[in-house]
Amino acid sequence: MAGRSDVELLVDLFEQELRLETAYEAALRRDAIDRSLGETLLAHERSHISALERVLAGRGNPSVPVFSGELTKALRGRRSFAEYAIWLEDKTVRAYSDSVPRIRDPKLRQPLGSIMACGGAHVVALKDSVGDPLVD
Amino acid sequence: MAPYVTRREALGGAAAALVLASCGGGDPPPATGPRPGSGIALLGSLLALERASVAAYGACLEVLTGEARTQMEAIRKEEQAHADALEATIGHLGGTPPPGRPRAEYERTFPRLRTPEDALRFAEDLEERHVRAYLEALTEFPALELRLQAAGICTDEANHLGTVRVLQGLPAAQGPFVTGAL
Repeated sequence: MAGRSDVELLVDLFEQELRLETAYEAALRRDAIDRSLGETLLAHERSHISALERVLAGRGNPSVPVFSGELTKALRGRRSFAEYAIWLEDKTVRAYSDSVPRIRDPKLRQPLGSIMACGGAHVVALKDSVGDPLVD
Repeated sequence: MAPYVTRREALGGAAAALVLASCGGGDPPPATGPRPGSGIALLGSLLALERASVAAYGACLEVLTGEARTQMEAIRKEEQAHADALEATIGHLGGTPPPGRPRAEYERTFPRLRTPEDALRFAEDLEERHVRAYLEALTEFPALELRLQAAGICTDEANHLGTVRVLQGLPAAQGPFVTGAL
């Protein structure tokens, strides 16, 4: 990942957030997540997307996520969706954890890290929703 | 108006005192080795915070039972692992990790934890400070490798913060940005 520009790193994170937004929107439509939890997580993802859009300010060329086969399968029930969402949130947190330290503008690292930390809390919320242990 | 401090504020103040005690001038700086600006002083501060937190969780466990105790024991183990990793990094950079303190010395800075609720509120304040400290480290560490380590530990601390909030019956995430916003 060495040598990638801040914009390229931010576009990747933006696309991850779009995938989460798509997943929570679909889960709410299909009743695959508790409504209150789903609305809270969706609102957070939209705040992250707005923040990243402001930073990108039209730079980069993010792709719109397609509705994946994994998501379609996960939407069959609350347990399967929770497992999918935990996987996707965890993948997003790992993307932040690997990208944020590489961002050259130091002023961006702390606020991007605060989004990363929110993702960590989302994992806990989703685990709690299905009764999984909160700390591995 | 008479001064009034809520129980939560008192516990938060105690957590702040603990952080100051752990990161302030009490722990001697690393003795030898690395050049100034290597990030080793900040590593030493983070290590002191982790060690103080391991002791703090020990105090919390004395009043916790059941699921909360199980989760807090798991968190304490992870904090110890963070301390071990930071010690190793200081050594790798050619420094000498600052010596730890006896548990009793840390405990003098703790609030009196009478109930599980006291312990969980204290733990929440500690974890908020952990997350903030590692986010600051993400900005301040000069070397990419150190920033990567800080980010990795920060994700664990965010998980801990969410966990102690859930154990109190609170939402895991307070808002879309754990500290600060873009």
